[in-house]
Amino acid sequence: MTSKSLAAYENVVGHVAISQLKQLADDLAGARVVHVNSTKTGGGVAEILQWLIPLMNDLGLEASWEVIEGHNKFFNTTKAFHNGLQGNPVALSQSMINVYEETVAENADRLRPVLEEADFVFIHDPQPAFLRHLCPDRQGKWIWRCHIDASHPNRKVWNYLKKVVSGYDASIFSMPHFAQRLEHPQFIIAPSIDPLSEKNRELLQQEIDTTLGRFGISRDLPILTQISRFDRFKDPIGVIDAFKMLNSSVDAQLVLAGGGATDDPEGAAVFEEVQEASQGYDRIFLLLLPSDAHRTINALQRASTIVIQKSLQEGFGLTVTEAMWKSKPVIGGNVGGIRLQVYNHHTGFLVDTPEGAALRIRELLRHPEKIRAMGKTAQEFVTLNFLLTRHLREYLTLMSGLQSGLQNHLTAA
Amino acid sequence: MDIATEKTNMPFQVKDCTIITRMGGVETAVNLREMRERIAVCPVECLFHHFCETVIRPTFDDPEFRNDFAIWSARQLRDRVLAERLGIINPYSLDNFEQLRELVLEIVDERLSELVYIPWVPRGRDFRFMRAMTVVFDVGITLTTPDDLIDQLPNFSHSSIYYHFIEARRRTPDKSDDFSAWLDGFGSGTESLRGALEGIDFYYLTLPDLKKTLIQALRSARAEVTDDQQVISGV
Repeated sequence: MTSKSLAAYENVVGHVAISQLKQLADDLAGARVVHVNSTKTGGGVAEILQWLIPLMNDLGLEASWEVIEGHNKFFNTTKAFHNGLQGNPVALSQSMINVYEETVAENADRLRPVLEEADFVFIHDPQPAFLRHLCPDRQGKWIWRCHIDASHPNRKVWNYLKKVVSGYDASIFSMPHFAQRLEHPQFIIAPSIDPLSEKNRELLQQEIDTTLGRFGISRDLPILTQISRFDRFKDPIGVIDAFKMLNSSVDAQLVLAGGGATDDPEGAAVFEEVQEASQGYDRIFLLLLPSDAHRTINALQRASTIVIQKSLQEGFGLTVTEAMWKSKPVIGGNVGGIRLQVYNHHTGFLVDTPEGAALRIRELLRHPEKIRAMGKTAQEFVTLNFLLTRHLREYLTLMSGLQSGLQNHLTAA
Repeated sequence: MDIATEKTNMPFQVKDCTIITRMGGVETAVNLREMRERIAVCPVECLFHHFCETVIRPTFDDPEFRNDFAIWSARQLRDRVLAERLGIINPYSLDNFEQLRELVLEIVDERLSELVYIPWVPRGRDFRFMRAMTVVFDVGITLTTPDDLIDQLPNFSHSSIYYHFIEARRRTPDKSDDFSAWLDGFGSGTESLRGALEGIDFYYLTLPDLKKTLIQALRSARAEVTDDQQVISGV
């Protein structure tokens, strides 16, 4: 990905928003900021860091991004943490915890100098969280950034992770309802999208048509699309069930497209289940895309009539924001961050069942004027509140706050 | 024609602010009785956030009520009676946030006495008490005359409008907005402008709407003032 400068965003978000960032960053000039996560590609966290780091640097901070490495056993354990935080029953054994701590310790040997010298360390999700315990001479503020819906975690997983993250200076959750009680301050920062990224920038109609042609998708029939990893929490089977319920009443196509992430070992198994469920339906397109297929995803979203995100559990749900940015109504699962973004009859519909999804798909396809109106409203809300400049502003506000003892304050003029 | 004033005044340094929300440190409420108990003890910062900072918080919605308690009552408890009673409260019409707390508790108590059951919400729809931290910074714009204010207002960010016109009422001793307080320093020539600002029913407006209203009100008031001044000076 090509990193972009702050100036490039001025045309999209306006001069005032850029100016605010510069003024806020003045107080933090030269601060050493390190972000740590577990994958360089695939998934929302990596996508956020790909734009966040260059923009922080553009504002005069010294930001860098480190990735922890591990083997299958490590990622199986961290996947168990992930599933457990989302409330799934998981078996967490002492040997798994040992693998986790040993792997993070190996990474700590490599990362310790840069982490201990940093003014701010942002640890993304549970995978690298144990690093803090292994950096005894740390100088700066350590912030645990939880991107997962941890509202009802598996108790065994949380009891362990709580001990791991409790010593941090602050934590960040994407929504108030994702937060767990911790002794340190818990902040709320909703994620955002990059309007100039390959996944969100404007595309020529020709490129969109070419993408559809590549997969044999017709331009002449409505396109229903769900973009997400092949993960049970995204309920791809439920989406297929909803599509099957449309039956002959609606002539449409369903596209299920997802990239893989290097830290998700379950993806292949779920993809096989989805293949089985879609057998015999030639208007269901299953696209297993590489993690860098951003322009393809962009084209598919822009070609869509309706975007679906029928998750059973969801963090924030960036694919919903992306669809709304492209002026698409969203039929979303009534969970997590989707509830924050989709408002019935305004920007789409929230549904709890495949039946509900089928009902709303039918309603929208029969009322194209609703599709246009909802898409317009959705795009306006994203422009105002959910582009990366707002996200970056909140990070800067948090750092400024931590630097000033978490009081309301005036920055140095 | 510029507005003539009887006195000069200190320059006005335009400021802007950002907020970041954080958990309020209060247990969540899953029913109306718990909501009452939490409101009774929550920090004033939580009340301020749920009544006053809603307007500056990122959202995908433009809700029908301005305070979170009314929104929660309507959307989650499904109690429109309570929502409307809470929704009409203007926190800036009260002397302080303890008075606001008392008023909210009175309304909730009254509703509890009317109901034959305690309305509750399922898991995940509970009320989370929040507060926010505000960081203020200098925009680099200095106003020296009332005309500067009127001419520069279109360049103000929404958060700057919030800081000077809404948030100011929390930090100034007479609960005035920063613009009115500054205009007052110029003496009687700015009475109409101050009157125009005072007449704005700001609490129920979104920030984009408030900005438009402010610009319109000040421009109209200036037109009246300069017309009057022309008549007096015989121009």
